[in-house]
Amino acid sequence: MNDEQPVELTVVAQRAGVRITVVRRYLEFGLFEPHPEPAEAPRYDPSSAARIARAERLRRDLGLNFAGAVLVCELLDRIRELEAQA
Amino acid sequence: MALAYTDYYEVLGVPRDADQDAIRRAYRKLARKYHPDLNSDSDAEDRFKALGEAHEVLSDPDKRERYDRLGANWRQQEQDAPDANFEEFFDRQGFGSDDARVEFSDDLFERLFGGGAGGGSGWRRSDGPLRGLDREALLELSLEDALEGGRRKLTLEHREIDVNFPAGVRDGQLIRLAGQGAPGRDGGPPGDLYLRIALKPHPHFRPRGNDDLDVDLPVAPWEAALGATVPVQTPTGTAQVRVPPGSSSGRRLRLRGRGLPRSQGGSGDLHAIVKITVPKQLSDRERELYEQLAESSPREATG
Repeated sequence: MNDEQPVELTVVAQRAGVRITVVRRYLEFGLFEPHPEPAEAPRYDPSSAARIARAERLRRDLGLNFAGAVLVCELLDRIRELEAQA
Repeated sequence: MALAYTDYYEVLGVPRDADQDAIRRAYRKLARKYHPDLNSDSDAEDRFKALGEAHEVLSDPDKRERYDRLGANWRQQEQDAPDANFEEFFDRQGFGSDDARVEFSDDLFERLFGGGAGGGSGWRRSDGPLRGLDREALLELSLEDALEGGRRKLTLEHREIDVNFPAGVRDGQLIRLAGQGAPGRDGGPPGDLYLRIALKPHPHFRPRGNDDLDVDLPVAPWEAALGATVPVQTPTGTAQVRVPPGSSSGRRLRLRGRGLPRSQGGSGDLHAIVKITVPKQLSDRERELYEQLAESSPREATG
């Protein structure tokens, strides 16, 4: 999906423009997963930053909580998949 | 003004007497409908921005009252209102410089969507790089500087930028400096900086309409009565103007093309307004002549 190397959580936070605590919350809710490749510290796909940024926009603009924002993101992904199949 | 008038009530689809609950309901419903992450229509982003702005204004009783009263100019008025701590604030921020005062405007979107350090910038639908926010700053210029054009060094957010402004800029005009706004994110491009020109009041020239200027033309009583050619100050130097015989105070003498340059070419006019000025001290000879004049000139003739 992305040619870039996996990055640490702090880098994800920086790129998403949010605090690390916010990134951890999204991680808890399963918005993104650690990269499967083994490494000393957990690493993450750089595309996670964009997912977080989108969830944050939804959370902030529509008054959602973390669970709601993650749910909307998942539904949006499913809509895209279904649209792509149609 | 670069900002087009937007009817915030129309944007939210509520009547003008809608209460706060109705405004909030309308905003939430439409925000879900037009949020750029949820709606792929090309105009969704613009509509969402308009919604945010409408809600920002109408949900605040003070702003709403001002908007109802002043319409499109409500924000202008807000900026014009002198704030006691205005200068102090900007000095503290280190924005001040000799003759160019710089101000970060209250950017509605920034407050709505930017929200300080943690805020994302923009809400581009694409899950890629994010463009930085646009910024607006105030550039105060004297009339002469605005006519001549030139450059200024501005300190904005701890960085110094060189600003070139063209000759003939107007009060309220926006100058766009591409890429000088807030930095982008994820490798996204920076936003733009908009400089809003504010002309400082001039000791002699008063703006009249878009391109014309008024200036007072002091003339002696005998010059006004007999006619004369007298010097008049123009923005670009001194010119001669012919005062016709029998000119009273308040008469406008038009100097074509001596006003402000027009964007479409040419220039506006300068209006020299006759102002009869009587010497404070009269010499004996002058007093004698005025007395003779008074005797030979019936009162009715001055009517």
